[in-house]
Amino acid sequence: MLVDELKSIVGTSGWTSDPDELLPHLTEWRDVFHGETLLMVSPGSTEQVSAVIRACAAGNTAVVPQGGNTGLCGGAIPDQTGQQVLLSLSRMNAIRCVSPNDFSMIVEAGCILADVQAAARQAARFFPLSLAAEGTCQIGGNLSTNAGGINVLRYGNARDQVLGLEVVLADGTIWNGLRGLRKDTAGYDIKHLFIGSEGTLGVITAANLRLYPEVRESQTAMIAVNSPQHAVDLLVELRGSLADQLQAFELIPSRAIRYLRRHMSALRMPFTDDYPWYVLLESSLGDDAQTLESALAAALEKRLGVDAVVAKNVSEQEGLWRIRHSISEVQKFEGVSLKHDVSVPLGKIGAFIEAAEAAVLKLMPDARIVAFGHIGDGNVHFNISQPKSWEGDRFREKAASLSNVVYEIVSSLQGSISAEHGIGQLKRELLKQYRGEEEIAVMKSIKAALDPGNILNPGKVL
Amino acid sequence: MERVLVGLKRVVDYNVRVRIRSDGSGVETDGVKMSINPFDEIALEEALRMKERGEANEVVVVSIGGSECQQQLRTGLAMGADRAILVETAESVNPLTGARIFLELIKREAAELVLLGKQAIDDDNNQTGQMLAALWGRPQATFASRIELNGSTAKVTREVDVGLETIEVDLPAVITTDLRLNEPRYVKLPDIMKAKKKPLDQIPVADLAVESAASITAVTFEPPEQRQKGIIVKDVAELVAALKDKGLV
Repeated sequence: MLVDELKSIVGTSGWTSDPDELLPHLTEWRDVFHGETLLMVSPGSTEQVSAVIRACAAGNTAVVPQGGNTGLCGGAIPDQTGQQVLLSLSRMNAIRCVSPNDFSMIVEAGCILADVQAAARQAARFFPLSLAAEGTCQIGGNLSTNAGGINVLRYGNARDQVLGLEVVLADGTIWNGLRGLRKDTAGYDIKHLFIGSEGTLGVITAANLRLYPEVRESQTAMIAVNSPQHAVDLLVELRGSLADQLQAFELIPSRAIRYLRRHMSALRMPFTDDYPWYVLLESSLGDDAQTLESALAAALEKRLGVDAVVAKNVSEQEGLWRIRHSISEVQKFEGVSLKHDVSVPLGKIGAFIEAAEAAVLKLMPDARIVAFGHIGDGNVHFNISQPKSWEGDRFREKAASLSNVVYEIVSSLQGSISAEHGIGQLKRELLKQYRGEEEIAVMKSIKAALDPGNILNPGKVL
Repeated sequence: MERVLVGLKRVVDYNVRVRIRSDGSGVETDGVKMSINPFDEIALEEALRMKERGEANEVVVVSIGGSECQQQLRTGLAMGADRAILVETAESVNPLTGARIFLELIKREAAELVLLGKQAIDDDNNQTGQMLAALWGRPQATFASRIELNGSTAKVTREVDVGLETIEVDLPAVITTDLRLNEPRYVKLPDIMKAKKKPLDQIPVADLAVESAASITAVTFEPPEQRQKGIIVKDVAELVAALKDKGLV
């Protein structure tokens, strides 16, 4: 029997069917998706992953890979049949090697992102992928969803951090592509197929990651601005005056600050006055704090910003970032929140937020919009909190119509309906709707070629 | 009162993981984020609040060290201090020498109150304020978590081992500040720009004719032993076995 075979592959410490232990793996943290599973296995090695996949392929049983389960689109949650095997990579959490002189490191898929960053730091190197869930999410999940986060502006997405991968294919074959080459034009660059495929084409078991010199000192500032368009203009100005040393550039709306004052009053706010929008930026100019200060002063003189604070020590830097990182969480206290992780070309961010706000408020005048995000990358988290006096369910019923107008505007501006959260089970229909037939056809033929039995995370993405 | 002196020491930022130089000669400060000693920042915040309440006319920040300390003084000026004094020296300054330097500045500036952090987070000496009060022959109120000025006296709540103690001291006096006294303000960019134009006097330490106290020479620095990674035991029997194995029981 498959279950017994799987148990013997991974050994006694490598599986569980205890409902209490399974619960956190079968529920997404926002409580939107629930699944059931035949068995959860946690292999301790690539060979075990391979054996698990081979057994599942032979038994024609679907496998759902899972990392830290911090996803937002249901990509790591099995369906409700109870017939899918949940493959947790958590036990594969070894840092295989750090090579500071090659500026690279090889880590296993189950390494927690914060541990990867720490291992790099230990070797006086910098691993730039950084996002709010970094204390829980795993690098395998980050790669399989091509995660973004706060440092994309300067260093790119998860995809850009990868020099090589080790992947278990749908028939159990292990492909060792961990070679850490920066230049390699020998044939198709197949690692990029697996990155962002959300476990539908293969299971990433290890990665060779790109490292950077340590950022010894950085500066953090928060700037009050009048509109998203001013924020974009400020970004353009500073990218020039700071010679591209900007690491992060985040937009924060006044409503998010109001939420934080209400529910997380321990957070210190840098401004006593209220402003309509704020920008949080990080710059790696190091010792030369004056450069950032004079660049910001020049920008304020041009009326691109209204006021600004510059953190004077690391505690204050962390305090400013805590404000940004608390925005996702604080929305929960204000009832149901409808989330749209979208991107548009940088120059169209102002137009997008303005148009989407107007369209949503026309449909639902009491909706409360919280538009924030990594605008340096054209990425806006366009979230809508339910009207204050409504029941959550009444709001949920209208969600689809609200989302439609948002996605229509995104599409009309040549944007994407998923900037960094992926497709999972949440956005499959949208993907079909907003990506051309020819593009979907290519995706389908790749899926058919790599996973003809459709056992790898079926029902996700496509 | 006319003038408050506030000491600002340049130290490795509180959040930086301190590293020992590879030759053991001291703590690595190259390319490391340096900030105002957090207790000193609290002292400055308190002085600024006194000024804002109309209890002090002028706040003067003081640092002792190399020209790089100007950075911390400029931050102090951006927070709102009126002017800054840098006593320049390339030598490391121990608490007694520091106290003597402050005493000279008190005379020059006719200061009526000196606010210092209770200790610096780099050497943790917790001595300068006390020594200064003794040399000056004036009262000291250390570890302040609340300060109330009443004309010629100050009522100070002190954080002591058994709880809180409130004392009253005659001014002029030295007050050293503890963590809970206040939360220092963020600095606004316009104030940072204004601070660049505020006066910052540089005085070579030799000009103060201060006798340098016999210094302690550090022989070597080494990091504390690394904590061993813990293990999780299944039950008491395994715990006992593990302890026996290590010869601990």
